[in-house]
Amino acid sequence: MAGLSIRGAQKSFGDTEVLKGVSIDVADGEFAVIVGPSGCGKSTLLRAVAGLEELTGGSITIGDRDVTALPPSDRGIAMVFQSYALYPHLTVYENMAFALKIAKAGKGAIDEAVRRAAAILNIEALLDRKPAALSGGQRQRVAIGRAIVRQPQIFLFDEPLSNLDADLRVRMRYEFASLHRQLGTTTLYVTHDQVEAMTLADRIIVLRDGLIEQVGTPRELYERPANIFVAQFLGTPRMNILSATVADGGQALLADGRRIALPPTALPLAAGAPISVGIRPEDIAIGDAPGALPYTVHFVERLGGLATVHLGGREGDEPVACQLRDDGSIAEGDRLAASFAPGHLHLFDAAGRAIGVRGG
Amino acid sequence: MRVNRWTVTLLAAFVALLTIAPLLWMVSVSFMARGEASQFPPPLLPDSPTLDNYRMLFGTFGVGRFLANSVLVSTLATVLALLFTVPAGYAFATLRFKGRDATFRLLVAALVVPGQIGMLPLFLELKAMGLVNSYAGALVPWLAGIFGIFLVRQYCLSIPDEMLEAARIDGASEGQILRRVVLPILTPIIVTLALFVFLSSWNDFMWPLIILADQQLYTLPVALAAMSREHVQDNELMMAGAVITTLPVLILFLALQRFYLSGLLTGSVKG
Repeated sequence: MAGLSIRGAQKSFGDTEVLKGVSIDVADGEFAVIVGPSGCGKSTLLRAVAGLEELTGGSITIGDRDVTALPPSDRGIAMVFQSYALYPHLTVYENMAFALKIAKAGKGAIDEAVRRAAAILNIEALLDRKPAALSGGQRQRVAIGRAIVRQPQIFLFDEPLSNLDADLRVRMRYEFASLHRQLGTTTLYVTHDQVEAMTLADRIIVLRDGLIEQVGTPRELYERPANIFVAQFLGTPRMNILSATVADGGQALLADGRRIALPPTALPLAAGAPISVGIRPEDIAIGDAPGALPYTVHFVERLGGLATVHLGGREGDEPVACQLRDDGSIAEGDRLAASFAPGHLHLFDAAGRAIGVRGG
Repeated sequence: MRVNRWTVTLLAAFVALLTIAPLLWMVSVSFMARGEASQFPPPLLPDSPTLDNYRMLFGTFGVGRFLANSVLVSTLATVLALLFTVPAGYAFATLRFKGRDATFRLLVAALVVPGQIGMLPLFLELKAMGLVNSYAGALVPWLAGIFGIFLVRQYCLSIPDEMLEAARIDGASEGQILRRVVLPILTPIIVTLALFVFLSSWNDFMWPLIILADQQLYTLPVALAAMSREHVQDNELMMAGAVITTLPVLILFLALQRFYLSGLLTGSVKG
């Protein structure tokens, strides 16, 4: 097994710069997830690691080998594609054995490797079937099996769950996690789904427009996002961002004219400086308290146990979403008091960078 | 609108009967005695079935040789066409090279030019190359049919890139990818194309007539046409010749039906 190191990766398609100098280190055995909106370059980056795209600049090292110029098959990687890309004319067994057959492995060795992988994935009963006779989840397993059989140094996953229905996605997510625990293979996983990133990753790499926005553990990114983009990309419902200016007495003046208390990180800020104040919906406390602001309930999204309540104040107030346990008592039109505890506030400067948090 | 199933079945049966009736009568007449089919009204079935017409064709006219010629030419045409067309179509679909799209557009545009227009220039070219009156000359038009290239290309476009990439990651060379992944997937279209080329070259009359001067080299349609000049009244003989021409390809067509009807790509990607 081996770690992965990407240095200053650049890639252009014609005049379009897709990767603008991306550097990532993935430790041996780590599960790293690259997440970002579509078009951010995450798939291109993964394909570059696989050797399916040639980088315009930069280098890729796997273990202690520079693989930048090596063909895909010599890199010690295995990739699972979004569409599974199984060979339709071969059985599940033959699909999984394909790489070893090409490598001219012995019959016994192939059989052992295929059966071991099939046992891990619980697909022994499917070995004689063709892909057309499999369900989506089974195809996904075979695609993973094909990757396991090669015993790669690094697993690459390109949005592997996006073709599955919601139910199966949750189950496969769990299986990915336990598979990784079992095999301990270094993994680079690409997704646009922040829930997948949060639940699977040892470390998340947030990519936007070909640049890294932040790198860190899911907790770090959630609790200390480096900028507004990361803050709003992770977490559902997304973080409320209110524009404000710094006022005297450790307070902020919201755009609607109301005041809230700021945390100590705001102390160095000059009065009058424009800032953005972020607060996660679950961090908003409802109920009368000193400094609480009056709001009217505009809309309630009931999710069963939880409800997302959209609050608006008077005319011109910025709407705020908060998440509550739903006991059925809140209705549209209710008047509530909401308080923003200073300890839960995230402050961002005019450029959207977090104040008091180191960036990725 | 919901149409009654019986109505559809009856209509289909009627159209099928209309189509197959002349063919059946052709077979029937080929077993009739000389002049029997020329009566009025013409009989549907032979009065006393006879193989005389076939004996005459194979014995007196040596049709066996022309049959062999036709088999040889059509088989070679099919093999050569596949050899050039399949890789060309695959390349147009999956490889990136300079001028690919422009070349392909030019080829497709050339499809609208009727084949007959090219016959004279082609004849002159082949004459200069010394290929007139040889099977090499007869085969040239079949080597790389544009339609075949187009057909293979369109089918190749439906092979997902990810599948080829998966094979590349699995360590397969481009040759191995073509042999072990692409060709098996292309089976239905290759069979279809082979059938198409075989039928067209088997039935082709014009070009062999132009290019082959030596009677010993004649293919079946040309030989039958030559025969019909003197035997234009011998309906029964001509029909026997027509049966010999039609039957082999009809059998081939039916035998390969299951290949070109199957869609092998199902199940490779997405549920």
